[in-house]
Amino acid sequence: MDTTVERTVTLGSTSGLHARPAALFVQQARTYQSQITLRKGERAADGKSILSVLALGAQKGDQVTLQINGSDAATALDTLAHLLEGGQA
Amino acid sequence: MGHIHILAPLDGTVLPLEDVPDEVFAQKMVGDGLAIDPGGQVALAPLSGHLVRLFRSGHAFGIGAPGGVELLVHLGLDTVELEGTGFERLAVEGQMVQAGTPIVRFDRAIIAAAGKSLLTPVVSSGSGTIVQRASGVVRAGRDTLFTLKL
Repeated sequence: MDTTVERTVTLGSTSGLHARPAALFVQQARTYQSQITLRKGERAADGKSILSVLALGAQKGDQVTLQINGSDAATALDTLAHLLEGGQA
Repeated sequence: MGHIHILAPLDGTVLPLEDVPDEVFAQKMVGDGLAIDPGGQVALAPLSGHLVRLFRSGHAFGIGAPGGVELLVHLGLDTVELEGTGFERLAVEGQMVQAGTPIVRFDRAIIAAAGKSLLTPVVSSGSGTIVQRASGVVRAGRDTLFTLKL
């Protein structure tokens, strides 16, 4: 059954969402069936596209909103939110 | 179905991505591509498209082109930590670029003195499969680094 879940997190990574954390985030995002959107202000990125995520230009301390829609939305949300806050992404 | 020739964005010697001492690139987490050990001082756009992201620190940029094509050029490893030292942006994020448009000027001596490797992964993070790869020495904006088949 498809669910839509959303959570706003504060980015923990020291240098923001640069290539390494973006790559780790996208690699994880791609393992889920659900559609994953990352929003910063008015900009939205496809969580499964590295260039799209990098285009957000998110810095440390920025608030980003994860919006996930699909059958594994809840699992995806917990893991991805953790990645973003914990500084691994 | 078409083919896109991705030009070498830098002068230098080609290396396989697997040889880059950074697992994010070596394991192709960002995508497939090649790396260049640069000999020059300017990074050019490897294809025509939209300069979707140019980091303020100048150490990396990404270009998007029709068909879901995405190319990422990451000047050096862990160079985000330099916060711009040794890099000078020559283009503006969001602008359209042609293949060969200068994007960043970099100073190899300053970057090396800061203890950073200048090995530069050039990676396709979007559509397409790489069907042909260069090896040996390449010239920025002149030689094809690899060809993408869409």
